[in-house]
Amino acid sequence: MSTSPGRADSGRPPTSAAAAPVLRVARRRLSLSGALIAVASIAVPLAIWWGVAALVTHMRGVPFPTPLDTYHRLMALLHGKLLVDFTIYRHLGDSLRRWAIGFSLAVGVGIVSGLLFGWSRLLERLSRPIVTVLQLIPGLAWIPVAILLFGISERTTIFMISATALAPIIINTTAGVKGVSELLVRAAKMMGADGRVLFLRVLLPGSLPHLLSGLRVGFANGWRVLVAGEMVVGTGTGLGYSMLQARWNLDYDSAFVCIALICLFGLLVERGLLLPLERRTVERWGLARAG
Amino acid sequence: MIELHDVSKIFYNEETGHLVQALQGVDLTVGENEFVCLLGPSGCGKSTLLNLVAGFERPTAGRLLFEGRPVRAAGPDRGVVFQDPTLFPWLTVAQNVDFGLRNLGLGAAERRRITDRFVSLVGLADFARSRPHQLSGGMKQRVQLARVLALNPRALLMDEPFGALDAQTRDRLQDQLLDIWESHRTTVLFVTHNVEEAVYLADRVAVLAPAPDGIIADVPISIPRPRDRYSEEIREATMALIGVLADLPCCVLPSRRAGETPSREPATTKPG
Repeated sequence: MSTSPGRADSGRPPTSAAAAPVLRVARRRLSLSGALIAVASIAVPLAIWWGVAALVTHMRGVPFPTPLDTYHRLMALLHGKLLVDFTIYRHLGDSLRRWAIGFSLAVGVGIVSGLLFGWSRLLERLSRPIVTVLQLIPGLAWIPVAILLFGISERTTIFMISATALAPIIINTTAGVKGVSELLVRAAKMMGADGRVLFLRVLLPGSLPHLLSGLRVGFANGWRVLVAGEMVVGTGTGLGYSMLQARWNLDYDSAFVCIALICLFGLLVERGLLLPLERRTVERWGLARAG
Repeated sequence: MIELHDVSKIFYNEETGHLVQALQGVDLTVGENEFVCLLGPSGCGKSTLLNLVAGFERPTAGRLLFEGRPVRAAGPDRGVVFQDPTLFPWLTVAQNVDFGLRNLGLGAAERRRITDRFVSLVGLADFARSRPHQLSGGMKQRVQLARVLALNPRALLMDEPFGALDAQTRDRLQDQLLDIWESHRTTVLFVTHNVEEAVYLADRVAVLAPAPDGIIADVPISIPRPRDRYSEEIREATMALIGVLADLPCCVLPSRRAGETPSREPATTKPG
């Protein structure tokens, strides 16, 4: 039961004015400890990296790049030093573009199919084996298929990103639509909703909590296969490609810059795009799960 | 207005593989602008009957007419108020009320005017921009009422709308509903298992017994309005109806409810 029978129907919002100052102090304390945790979550891995670098350099006698080495090389690359014939901007831009196209395709196809499969039991049962298999195929296993389809080109990488991002988006959207209460569908029909309204204004927003989880998993899958795909397909640009090439040239500092950028931009998309999207929708609707 | 002739409904319960007879040979007529309460023990098929009239389900046998025409699908001419507040959590109070108006193809200004009017009518003007999760149970039910009234329905179908509320809130909402009914004059079919509620609200109380019995009593409540819920007349009418209900099996196995609205808790945990 979603109603709280104990609450009087006095029309008062849940938080009273008297509690506001206390809440403000509590919130400030929370944000302070939150900031500390955020700093620690970056500082600790950096410290570990540094320790490993020092240890490996000392014990094996090979120059393992430290965070500082990587930073210096990053600065050099940002100032226009070429990496495998191109600037770092070109590599980064190409990688992001491939990812954006591949992921957008997966999002479009995934959401539409997910909505359909969630809506129609028949379609869901017909598609279930395909979707399950799709989910089980590792991203790199697409390489022969993709190369046969598109040759050694950018489209091969894009196809691989789409293929690996697709399954979790479909699966989660389907689950989301199936999770929309039958009562909400009835209420919508009672208020004269036709098929289009039902899809766009009930099933789509109703499945959004699941859909967003699907996007996050799909994003992570696609991001991983982007790097792997660029390494294997090798179209001359991209972070994955230049990471591998830098290694052949024993330019480990640059390889580490590429790794750092992959981590950084992955984190940015997750924190800067997907998380805020969740905050602005699911949490504001009171549907948020803990954490 | 609403006519059921020899209506039966049989559900197939997928879990048990059994057929469940929810309604059998039910006859009921609700007149224009009449307030009829459908009273009966939990699991007797009250909600099923309402779902048939709403058009959510189709009768297995019999004729079901609304304004002389067979009911084929749900539509805004029959505004349903559900027991569970089925508001769209992603829409604000005003947007929830606006939902049906959009489907009617009205202009933005017109929709805005109607929304404002009905949100105010149920006393939620200050909460027009709140979302459902910020409202209490009673407030949610008022939004449900506002969103169907805004569509100017020919009939209101109410499925134990106050069943999950505390007594004080329930009383207040009953009075509010009567006020609105007096001023807007629509037909109301109101499902409840609460005898006092039925007597206080209705022009007529139809008592539904579990299949195969159907409607076993049809009692006019001729107490003049406005009524005093603590008056002797109300008490007497209540006692008389309790007498009728006493002869019915009160505890019905949960399996009988298999066909009723899915996300409902089992009969045994129902409040009231």
